[in-house]
Amino acid sequence: MELLDRYLQAVKKHLPWQRQDDILAELRANLESQLEDQEAEIGRPLTAAEVETWLKQIGPPIMVAARYQPQQYVIGPAIFPTYWYVLKLASFWALAIYGIVSAVLIFSAANPGISAVGAVVRAPFVLMNVAAWVTLTFAAFEFAINHSWIAWPASAVSPEGWSPSSLPPLEKAAASGKKPRTYAMAVAEIIFGFLFLGWLLLVPRHPVLMFGPGALYMQISPFQIEPVWYTFYWWIVGLNVLQLGWRCVDFSLGAWQGPRLVQQAVIKLLGLIPLGILIAAPSHLLIALKHPEADQARFGQTLDTINLGVHKGLMVVCAIKVLQLLWEIGQRSLEAYRRRIAATR
Amino acid sequence: MTVAESIFENLRLELRRGCLTLAVLAQLRQEHYGYTLRKALALRGLEIDESTLYPLLRRLETQGLLASEWREEDKRNKRFYRLSSDGERIFGELLKEWQAINASITSILNGTSILDSNDNGNS
Repeated sequence: MELLDRYLQAVKKHLPWQRQDDILAELRANLESQLEDQEAEIGRPLTAAEVETWLKQIGPPIMVAARYQPQQYVIGPAIFPTYWYVLKLASFWALAIYGIVSAVLIFSAANPGISAVGAVVRAPFVLMNVAAWVTLTFAAFEFAINHSWIAWPASAVSPEGWSPSSLPPLEKAAASGKKPRTYAMAVAEIIFGFLFLGWLLLVPRHPVLMFGPGALYMQISPFQIEPVWYTFYWWIVGLNVLQLGWRCVDFSLGAWQGPRLVQQAVIKLLGLIPLGILIAAPSHLLIALKHPEADQARFGQTLDTINLGVHKGLMVVCAIKVLQLLWEIGQRSLEAYRRRIAATR
Repeated sequence: MTVAESIFENLRLELRRGCLTLAVLAQLRQEHYGYTLRKALALRGLEIDESTLYPLLRRLETQGLLASEWREEDKRNKRFYRLSSDGERIFGELLKEWQAINASITSILNGTSILDSNDNGNS
């Protein structure tokens, strides 16, 4: 009986404190009756080993006591889907904002390598922080609902509070790049590609084609662009030639209908190089004075401000482009994974 | 335990959960205390663990389906349970529901329409 007493004592520690004496008295009565029955059946008291086996069958004290507890949730099934949705959204935006801020800090740091490593190491903590706050908020919400301090919106739980007409409109049936292209579209793309390339090649000789009347100001202004812009320009020309050539090959092979996912990804990836060239310009010098000796005193400070502003702007654009590319690669990979899973079922 | 066994076990427990409540309510049309109720159910082929049955009795009592009282029997204080008036009404409704489900499943397994069975029963 000592073992049964010890067992009941262990159960008591995990019972709800308001009812533990009552529950324990009932459990004791039931278990003692059961023990008596067993002993009557075999005609002798149970040995310590037999009592131990019997108690083991009933289960660990903590598990037995847990059955008397009401079902409890940190976040219950009614609000869990909303919680999960908000958590994903918050994590994504936190990561996106963190990525942009980190990119700016990395490019302006004295040692970008160390700064980049630091940013990567801190990223999981940023995510954990966001997850903790979202979870804490929803747990508090669940607690408030359970204690009837607030009510869960009727539209979220009752069929009457919901209407099919409030559903969002249909999303585009096919994402761009997935829709099969017609022959005419493929031809038009190539023709416009050549026209655009021709226009681009004419710009250095005739800046008015790009800047309009602003080209005149460039001639009379005290500023001029640095040679790094010519490298940038030829990279853009090269990318257009590559894209156009790729399209021509696809066209000649009769593959103009298919999606151009790889092509798009490669062009976007290579498109980061000219941006990087501008960002890496020595001393962030993108615009210079035509006559520094004469104009330095008058326009020197303005020039520094312009160069720094353009440099920061380019870093933000670059960070956005990287995130866009990562997002697209992620989306495409997820889509491919879904298709593969669907194909195996 | 294999995945298939684990799935079966989960489904079996889900299926049993509702049936156990119904069986307990049915048995408590007569007064019992925890242990004798467990024995009575086992005698009719329904074995229930102590750790499942005793908390279930508490829960049903909290919901107002059972009434209980402490009484001395064989020199020991025991808590006796029986169906309350609310419990009797709800048990009746649950029983009808269970019989309807049972009839539907039988009909599905036999490939007959439940309406045909009703018509045959009426004629």
